[in-house]
Amino acid sequence: MKLTPNEKLNILEVLRNLAAYRPRRRGWTWRSGPARQQVGPFMYENASPALAQSVPLPSAHWFGDIDPQCDFVITTEIASGRFEDDLRRMRMAAWHGADHLMVIRTTGQSHIDGLIEGTPEGVGGIPITRKQVRATRKALDAIEDEVGRPINFHSYVSGLAGPEIAVLFAEEGVNGAHQDPQYNVLYRGINMHRSFVDAAEAKRIMAQAGILQLDGAHNANATAKEAWKVTPELFVQHAINTEYSRRAGMPAELIALSTVPPTAPPAPKLRLDLPYMVALRDLFAGYRMRAQQNTRYIEADTGEATVTHVLDTLLSRLTSADIQSTITPDEGRNIPWHYNNVAGVNTARQTLMGLDGMMQLVALREDGYLPAMARELKERAVLFLEDVLAQGGYYAAVAAGMFVDSGYFPERHGDGIVRDPAGGDGADTVVPREPDYGAPVCSHFGDNAYDGQAGKACAAYGGCSLCNPERIRYVDEVDEEDTVARRLERPLAEQQAGLLRPEVERHGDGIVCVTLFVPAEPQLAEAAALEMARRMGLAEPTVISRRMMHPAEGSVFEVRGRLEAAIRIDQLVLPPPSEPIADAEIEAWVRPRNIAVVAGTVGEDEHSVGMHEVLDIKHGGIEKYGFRCQNLGTSVPIERLLDTAERTGARVILISTIVTHSAVHEQNMRRLAALARQRGLRAGLVLIAGGTQVTDALARACGLDAGFGRGTTGRDVGSFIVRALRER
Amino acid sequence: MSSSERADDFATRRKPLHGLSDAELHGRFWSLVQEIVAPLIEEARTHTTPAIERSVLLRMGFTSAEAKLIVGGMHQRGWLGHGAGRLLLSRAQAQGSSVRQVGEALLAGEGWEALRP
Repeated sequence: MKLTPNEKLNILEVLRNLAAYRPRRRGWTWRSGPARQQVGPFMYENASPALAQSVPLPSAHWFGDIDPQCDFVITTEIASGRFEDDLRRMRMAAWHGADHLMVIRTTGQSHIDGLIEGTPEGVGGIPITRKQVRATRKALDAIEDEVGRPINFHSYVSGLAGPEIAVLFAEEGVNGAHQDPQYNVLYRGINMHRSFVDAAEAKRIMAQAGILQLDGAHNANATAKEAWKVTPELFVQHAINTEYSRRAGMPAELIALSTVPPTAPPAPKLRLDLPYMVALRDLFAGYRMRAQQNTRYIEADTGEATVTHVLDTLLSRLTSADIQSTITPDEGRNIPWHYNNVAGVNTARQTLMGLDGMMQLVALREDGYLPAMARELKERAVLFLEDVLAQGGYYAAVAAGMFVDSGYFPERHGDGIVRDPAGGDGADTVVPREPDYGAPVCSHFGDNAYDGQAGKACAAYGGCSLCNPERIRYVDEVDEEDTVARRLERPLAEQQAGLLRPEVERHGDGIVCVTLFVPAEPQLAEAAALEMARRMGLAEPTVISRRMMHPAEGSVFEVRGRLEAAIRIDQLVLPPPSEPIADAEIEAWVRPRNIAVVAGTVGEDEHSVGMHEVLDIKHGGIEKYGFRCQNLGTSVPIERLLDTAERTGARVILISTIVTHSAVHEQNMRRLAALARQRGLRAGLVLIAGGTQVTDALARACGLDAGFGRGTTGRDVGSFIVRALRER
Repeated sequence: MSSSERADDFATRRKPLHGLSDAELHGRFWSLVQEIVAPLIEEARTHTTPAIERSVLLRMGFTSAEAKLIVGGMHQRGWLGHGAGRLLLSRAQAQGSSVRQVGEALLAGEGWEALRP
């Protein structure tokens, strides 16, 4: 399957012949290659190889459209509930630099004692089934070819079916997974004996398939009231899972600690978080770090969330990370929208490129507060471990409520999570192995009658599915009502009919978000904002973010609603695409004609950069074609431009108009057209405006010949001038 | 203050750790962790569960639904401690058939008694 940038991902093609699909590799892939490399005009110190195709950061056009890539793997978490929509989101995220795509599981899958099959719809994530996993991996193969970088696919090996999910992931080429028996115990109410016994088997399977393991300690952060006070316990949780994984046969390089800087501003974030992060890296030297961004204190304001996430990413660069995971900035208000996955990825990408080489500039203090606090945290963790043993071991300690207590250990508040070692989901399902116990398969943990024999344990029957993929039995659908084929009926029919709807999560869901500032007190303003959204024709408007600017002067709201109307593609009128003329052709036409151009930034406006981009030879501007350009500078009166044009016999006037308040850019354009007419010069002149808020349509409406917005090059402007003058 | 509540007595409790170098403190941390984990991993080495046995049958070429039925039947009969895979393979070897054939018979409700360990 091959993707082309100008064609949408064909889900029917993904689903075709899935029964015969085999993953092309197993195991995790890190970004590799020299960290020090030249990209465009800059030398980077923490880089990785470039992508074949991508969408660069918005400001990249100032630097030759470079898209340098950092050395950390970048994660985004995807949770729409429909894998067929997730795939499109994954493709968008990959184009923005994500190479670790984490698929959240549907609510309640932890409690299902066995695997789910088919393509049923999920809630807050997808049901992890063989078909959905296989289809996703197949689509990711095509996406990684398109962007030119391996993509790691990740989900969860937890709940009552951990070992089976581990087998499924090993068979289907899943590259990373969460696995931490403590998560089952503390947050899923699964019996602790069952959880740990299952985990050893799951970890052994993951280890031999090269699947990178993430632990679950960060959840204590997310649940504790005062997250910075659980840091001593976080070391304990990381350590129990890490040691247990090692004993189950997992090598250090496949163990990643899932760690989150625990606080957010207005808390003094760096002072609280940095000692914890330093202590963690000291205690766990040799293990991988999956640095997650903070969710504990995320609110509805996406700007605020983004600032916290920038600081989280700064902390990763100040200490270390192998994976920088991202949180979508809208997670505090809804299940993430797809373009917010991209926004989250870009927060990490933009921050990490900005911080490139930071450790050449600064160093962490080795005296004073930082090492003293790090030492204190480690000591508190050691005291915690001593207390676990004093309680009678791990199970007894959980039963005594030692974990996720909000006290700053050894302080305890008595509000920890309490679980009964004999209770929970799956209690009484742990069975002692008899002396003749055997499991004739590979990647099995513990006592096994087949271990003593020569050769593989699975040799007697032609190899287990991990050695011989032909043995995998593929199940397609189970419930014919709840399938991807059913869900695709409407989107495919609408696509066929040429209909387009806006969306944020699922195909054509119609959801839009409008921003409204209402100049009234908050309660009144909110009621008004909702009514305004209704008048715009939005169904079920809901305020998803409110921020008071002043108690009386007003508040700003983001209102989500549904646009019921679909747009018919065949009724849209598109401006004709104008391909720029080749450089050589422009120059061949312009140079012998010695064409004069007068230019300037008009009005009370001191912006000069845009005009330089279009004119100057060193920026690739139109001078290079042989235009005789005269730039009168900034804040130039329109009259002066016309005087100069008249005096020099110029054929072209270029104005730049950046400032837009009170629509001054429109006034400038209209005034240029009007004055040129009054002075009888209009017919002999090509009049062009440029600026960040200028569009071709707007400029023409104001009486000019053309307008150019962001991203315009000298070649665009040169091509237009040549065409316009040829016509005259 | 209940028995599960305690004030922050870190200043007192940390005294025995005071003389440890950082490396010694790290060593103490990991040796305590090993002590906590040892009985947990020992239980895993010597026990199994329906999920582990189903994962064995998946690897031996059964679907998730088939594995659930076969392991469920063995669990009900108290045979799981011998290993689902071992029971199937031993039977297949004894009767000269494939593992898959033994499993399909069990799914049809046949051959359960012959499986008895």
